[in-house]
Amino acid sequence: MTSWTERYLAAALRSIPDPKRADLERELRSSIADAVEERVASGEDRLAAERAVLEGLGDPAQLAAAYTGRPTYLIGPELFPLYRQFVPRLIAVVVPLAAVVMAAVELAGGGSYSDAIAAGISGAISVTIQIAFWATVTFVFLEWADSARKARTEIVSATGRWTLERLPDLSGARVTAKESVGEIVTVLITIGGLLFLRGLGTTDASGSEVPLFAPAFTDFWFPALLAVLAAMAVLHVMVFIVGRWTMALAVGHAALRVAFALPLIVLALNGTLVNPAFAAQIGWPSLAEGNGPAMLAIAVGTTLVGGWEILKPFLRARRARGSGPLAGASRRSA
Amino acid sequence: MQFDELLGTHRQELRRGTVVLACLLALRTPGYGYGLLKTLDAAGISSDGNTVYPLLRRLEERGLLESEWNTDESRPRKFYRTTRAGSELAAQLLADVADLTASLHTLNGGTDR
Repeated sequence: MTSWTERYLAAALRSIPDPKRADLERELRSSIADAVEERVASGEDRLAAERAVLEGLGDPAQLAAAYTGRPTYLIGPELFPLYRQFVPRLIAVVVPLAAVVMAAVELAGGGSYSDAIAAGISGAISVTIQIAFWATVTFVFLEWADSARKARTEIVSATGRWTLERLPDLSGARVTAKESVGEIVTVLITIGGLLFLRGLGTTDASGSEVPLFAPAFTDFWFPALLAVLAAMAVLHVMVFIVGRWTMALAVGHAALRVAFALPLIVLALNGTLVNPAFAAQIGWPSLAEGNGPAMLAIAVGTTLVGGWEILKPFLRARRARGSGPLAGASRRSA
Repeated sequence: MQFDELLGTHRQELRRGTVVLACLLALRTPGYGYGLLKTLDAAGISSDGNTVYPLLRRLEERGLLESEWNTDESRPRKFYRTTRAGSELAAQLLADVADLTASLHTLNGGTDR
C-alpha cells in the first residue's frame, strides 16, 4: 500500500493547475517531512507521527481550495442575492404559464379535463425542476469559470448594486407575484376561450360545417387578436420584473388593450363578427346583426371592461410615483 | 454555547487578521514553511499549516514575499523572504495594530494598562 503521505499529496494536488503542481508538491512534501521528522526525533513512532501530521493538515480538498483560491461554495455571496431573487421569480412567472399551456394543448388534442389537469400538474413539476436546475448551473458557471469572471463583475454591478430605491415599497404600489400570475392566467383563459369559440359551429341541412365566427374574422382578425393577447402576457411579465406599473408600461398596456378591444367592437357593430349563416341556422338571425342586442352587448361590455382595465395601471403608476419616502414623511408631519 | 467555546471562536476571529502581519514580520529573516510555523508558535502566535502554507503562496503572488529553493541541505526547502513592499505593508499594519490597541484601551476607560 502506498504511504499515507503519497495518498494525501495525490488527493491535495489533484485540483491544482499543472504549472504550479510540481513546485507545490515538492514544498508540501518537505513541509510534511519536516513536521514528521520533528515528531520522530522526540520519540514518536514514525507511522503515528505521519498520521498526526497529515490529520493536522486536514481535508486535502480544503487545503487545495486554499492554495488555488477557488471557492468551496457553489454560489458565492456576490451572486447569491441575485440568485435568490431571480430563480423564484422566474419560476413564479413561467411555471403557471407552462402548466396552463400544457393543459390547453392536452385539451386541444382531444384529451379529457382530468387528462388536462394531470398534464398541467406534471408540466408544472418538470418545468420547475428544469428552471431550478439550469438557473443553478448558470449561476455556478458564473461563479466558477475563470472565463466568466468579467461577465460576473458586470452582472453584479448592473443588478446587484443595492440602492435605497430597491427597498420594497410598502404603499401597495408594488405588483405582487399573485397579481401578475392572475393577469397572465386571465390572458391565457381569454386565448383558450377564443380558441374554444373558433371551434364552435353547427351543421346545415346539407351536412356541411357552419362555424360560429364569420370566416373573414377567423382568417385575419383571429390570429391578430391572439398575437395581441400574447404581447399582453409578455407585458405582464415585464411589469412583474420591474415590480410596479410605470407610466411607460401603463401606456403600452393601454395600446394593447385598445388593439384588442377596438377590432372586436368595430366588427361587432358592423355585423362581421358572427357568421350570419350560423345565426340563421340556430334560429336567432339577429345574433349576427350589428344593431342586434347580442352585438350591442359585446360592444358595450368590451368598451366598459376595456376602459376600466386601461385606467387601472395608470392609477397604480401614479400611486407608485407618489409613494417615495418623502410622501410618507410629509403625510405624517401634516 | 459554553464560555470557553465562545472565547475560542472570538479569539480565532481576532487573530485571523494578524497572521499575515506575523508572517511578513517573521520572514524579514528568510524562512521555510515548517520553520515559520515553529517561529510563530515560539512567539505565541499559534497557527496551522493549512492556513500558513497557502498564505505564503498568496503573499508571494502579491509581491509581498519572494521565494527561493535551498538545496544545500539533505532536504530541499523553499525559503521565503519579505520583500521591500512586504516590509512597508507590515510596518503600516503594525502601526494600525498599535492604534487599535490604544483605541480599545481608551474605550475601556484608560484603566487596565
